[in-house]
Amino acid sequence: MSLLMTRGLYKHFGGVTAVNDVSFAVEEGEILGLIGPNGSGKTTVLNMLSGFLQPDAGEVVFAEENVTRLTTVELARRGLLRMFQMTRVFGRITTLDNMLVAGMAMGLTEKETNQRAQVLLEELTLAHVQYLDAGQLSGGQRKLLEFGMCFIKPPRIALLDEPFAAVHPVMREAMANFIRRRHAMGQTFVLVSHDMPIVVELCQRSVCMNAGKVIAVGSTRSVLESTPVIEAYLGSSSHA
Amino acid sequence: MSARRNLWANRLRSDFRAALGMLAVLACVPFFVTSPYSLGIVIVSMYFAMLAMGWNLLAGFTGQFSLAPAAFAMLGAYTTGLLNYHWQAPLALGLPAAVLGMALVGWALGRLILRLRGPYLSLTTLSFAEIARVVISNSHEFTRGDQGLNVPTLMQSRVGYYYLFLAVLAFTLVGLYLLMRSKVGRFWLAIRDDSIGAETRGIDVVRYKTLAFGLSCAICGFAGALYGTFSQLVSPELGLLLQTGLVISMVVIGGIGTLTGPLLGALLVYLSSEWLREIGGIQLIVFSALVIVFARFFRTGLWGLVTSWRSRLKTTPDVAKESS
Repeated sequence: MSLLMTRGLYKHFGGVTAVNDVSFAVEEGEILGLIGPNGSGKTTVLNMLSGFLQPDAGEVVFAEENVTRLTTVELARRGLLRMFQMTRVFGRITTLDNMLVAGMAMGLTEKETNQRAQVLLEELTLAHVQYLDAGQLSGGQRKLLEFGMCFIKPPRIALLDEPFAAVHPVMREAMANFIRRRHAMGQTFVLVSHDMPIVVELCQRSVCMNAGKVIAVGSTRSVLESTPVIEAYLGSSSHA
Repeated sequence: MSARRNLWANRLRSDFRAALGMLAVLACVPFFVTSPYSLGIVIVSMYFAMLAMGWNLLAGFTGQFSLAPAAFAMLGAYTTGLLNYHWQAPLALGLPAAVLGMALVGWALGRLILRLRGPYLSLTTLSFAEIARVVISNSHEFTRGDQGLNVPTLMQSRVGYYYLFLAVLAFTLVGLYLLMRSKVGRFWLAIRDDSIGAETRGIDVVRYKTLAFGLSCAICGFAGALYGTFSQLVSPELGLLLQTGLVISMVVIGGIGTLTGPLLGALLVYLSSEWLREIGGIQLIVFSALVIVFARFFRTGLWGLVTSWRSRLKTTPDVAKESS
């Protein structure tokens, strides 16, 4: 049984069908790439998986439970955590306080959170800024902090929305390393990214969407080499 | 080591100590000021300090900009007054009823409106405040309308009232400190800074916002009820938007999102408003101008300025040592 499954998801915004009969599965321990051109519906799918949007039809099954109508909070407590493209840290408290909030929200004690936070901040090269307000961190550091908050109590699955977008290459590598290490420990990820080299490197399988529909599923290489995907990114030859 | 001062727990502790220091100074005032009129002014400023602390809990710590603190004070005062007027309920029952009643009204209102954000939340609380005031003002047979309602006093001694207000203020301060130090307080800060981010981390945003709303309303309701017993008269004027404006200016000038700021702001604004009243009733112009100046140039308020000067003074010797 897959860890996360979507079956026939639909989402309409007014007259626009943003997500059209989307079904795919995420296996435990894999990094699944969710790719597609801009406006293909990836973020809307992620919003439905993480409880920020309710699908108009279809269902989401997580760890053999139908979670379609659960809220973001209920999903987070079940171990389904999401990171946004725009970082969402708490700017007027310190980096370490951000970690404490994340740990306590996951039911950890202050002492336990503090211990885990120190290890994670060290790993994410944020230990030197732990007493700075999160609002003073650079964009890349904020993304790393979000990783730390997400992993203060490792989730069963982490949904990452464009984590490498607009990030300095050094930070990008730090994030990729973090994902690699966690994946080696058995962590499951869904990665939305336009950064194809890193998708190829990190994701064993990928789902490609275009105009709200799934147009290819399979190993990342085979997906990227398939004709519908090439046409979705480059335009079909008939339009040339 | 000095950087650790920036941690929330340490910031809060030093803030709390400063607020306790202010209360200690207030405790000494009756030894030097014996005029009942002057003591009365400080008592009223302590009433406003409670309102300011209640509003700051919601706006400063949780990021919910309500425009109804004065309305809740008015409703709290009327709860105690009406229970006594119609059913001869003693104050021992009327005062807790004001706290509980306002907490419940706040909770119910919170459930209705706290999914709203920004200006919509503010406008809804403003509508609630005005509706409540107009209903009380027009329900002459039940509330005696604009004539006001007599409320029995708790004691005749003005010094006794002074220390009662001080004790309630201290109790509120300690309660807020303990809450802000706990998991609940940290979740409020997270909601203030980014409510979607807080939800993503698994924080039940609506539940914690409702809790803040209920508590804030309970504090304001109790302040109003206590003030009613002190002035022995409650009227719809307690809930005027002007009073809410005064509370907001106290928090903004004192320092929003701190424990000391609302206390400092309430004392400074109310005491100086009495002084400015004597020299020509220009207090509203002065405070409005000050709010604009602080909101534009000193967003952390007076207490924020004090703490930044203090930390500069403390870090300068460290830097000097390191460079030598």
